[in-house]
Amino acid sequence: MNIIQAIDINYNYPDGTQALKNVNFKVKKGKIVALLGPNGAGKSTLFLHFNGILRPSSGEIKVENQTLDYKKDGLMKVRQKVGIVFQNPDDQLFAPTVVEDVAFGPLNLGLDSEEVDKRVSSALEKVGMAGYENKPPHHLSGGQKKRVAIAGILAMHPDIMVLDEPTSGLDPKGASQILKLLYHLNQEGMTIIISTHDVDLVPLYAEEIFIISDGEIIKQGNSHQVFEDVETIRGANLRLPRIAHLMEILKKEDKLPFSEPYPLTIGEARTRLINYLEEKK
Amino acid sequence: MNISIDYHAHNNKLSDYNPQFKILLGILTLIICLISQKPFIPFLISLIMSSIIIFKAHIPWRFYLKFIGAPLGFGVLTLFFMAFFFGTQPLFATSIGDLTIYQDGLNLGLLVFSRMVGSFACLGFLTLTTPLNDIFSQLHKLKVPDIFIELALLMYRSIFIFIDESDRMYHAQQTRLGYNGLKNSYHSLGLLASNLFIKSWFKGEKVHLAMESRCYQGELRSMNKYSSLTLKHVLVLIFFEFSLILGLYLTSGLKLI
Repeated sequence: MNIIQAIDINYNYPDGTQALKNVNFKVKKGKIVALLGPNGAGKSTLFLHFNGILRPSSGEIKVENQTLDYKKDGLMKVRQKVGIVFQNPDDQLFAPTVVEDVAFGPLNLGLDSEEVDKRVSSALEKVGMAGYENKPPHHLSGGQKKRVAIAGILAMHPDIMVLDEPTSGLDPKGASQILKLLYHLNQEGMTIIISTHDVDLVPLYAEEIFIISDGEIIKQGNSHQVFEDVETIRGANLRLPRIAHLMEILKKEDKLPFSEPYPLTIGEARTRLINYLEEKK
Repeated sequence: MNISIDYHAHNNKLSDYNPQFKILLGILTLIICLISQKPFIPFLISLIMSSIIIFKAHIPWRFYLKFIGAPLGFGVLTLFFMAFFFGTQPLFATSIGDLTIYQDGLNLGLLVFSRMVGSFACLGFLTLTTPLNDIFSQLHKLKVPDIFIELALLMYRSIFIFIDESDRMYHAQQTRLGYNGLKNSYHSLGLLASNLFIKSWFKGEKVHLAMESRCYQGELRSMNKYSSLTLKHVLVLIFFEFSLILGLYLTSGLKLI
């Protein structure tokens, strides 16, 4: 079942430039999907359509097969179901303490304080930020802020979590902690949509990849289907994962017999190399 | 300075102590300080409050000295000014020109000085040991209109983002010698200010989008979790403040000079 679906979405900015052109995008329940694209391709703009912040000029958004209803009640419902984690946690964390920020969403849903408490502590527990309840956001590190921002969304119990560049600006450890967290959430049944331009990380977690360039979806499929079309990838100001690039160079420059599709992750490359060495013996 | 006050307010041994008690203690003691007619009790209050700040809350004394330094300096100035110019009964004449220290002026100066030091210690106790969000929630309890509290709350959070942003811009300008010379500095400062304004505007819009994404309906709801005073707190408050008032009464006849 498609849990979220964008059908022929067009969106024009107020100044008339077309930000999204006939975008079709669908995500099956329980998947991790990546939206891969260079800066300014329209990733964030598309995301803001998913919970009704932006309204398409034409086309429609369907959440759980229901066309998005832009009336007040409909928006409340969809914003509970579809949680968006913004790229810069400073845009999202506005409350003076961690606990108040995480409680913001649940309180807006009109839950009683007992339920709010329960949700807040379990959300902070999940992201590994229990014990920071009364800290103000400006005393936290970038990775911690990001995790609090995720907790603020988790506490609303969404079915779909949409993350705009969740690893940008984080150090390697912070980034891998976030990805692990997302992986766990997905194991528990959460559908996850991530926008990124980090081509090295995408093949590790994404079951399906959409490539967006200049407001158009130009490619979709699993990581091998998407990355086998090197021309399109490079044309969209992206590149192959480092590992695949290395294999490409080994083949083209050093004439080693690595056939396409190139391995995309360290694990795949390892198997391929071991097989090659075995054959050579 | 602002940032370190905030840091200490969140990271001292009394941060988690009942905020209502701290606010009442701070404000009641402040009032006693201000109604005092003799300098003895305010001096005593400043001693007590300062020791609570340094020995109970474990605020580093260097930081506390810096915190209280500016008003203290101002207080000393006032003291001199009053002793020399605000009196009618000469105490003794100095050898510098015809400057005379007046007895009533000196007394008045000491009173003002003591009130200043005492009140500032009370305020210091409040601001250095109580995180601002605790003060917000108490204001809510005191039925201050929500709109003011919400504004204050958003401002409080934005200040730090604002400072960060202006720091970054300032450094970027310095890197390109933006503050080389007076005229240049004014020009750069103007650019910095206008840019900050535009950035704040955009940032505000983004924050609003993020809030809307979490079902914001134009009203910040609070968790309604207030720790109330226990009997012990009330007794301590009553005992402490009445002792001070008794002190006021007992010292009202004493004369310093």
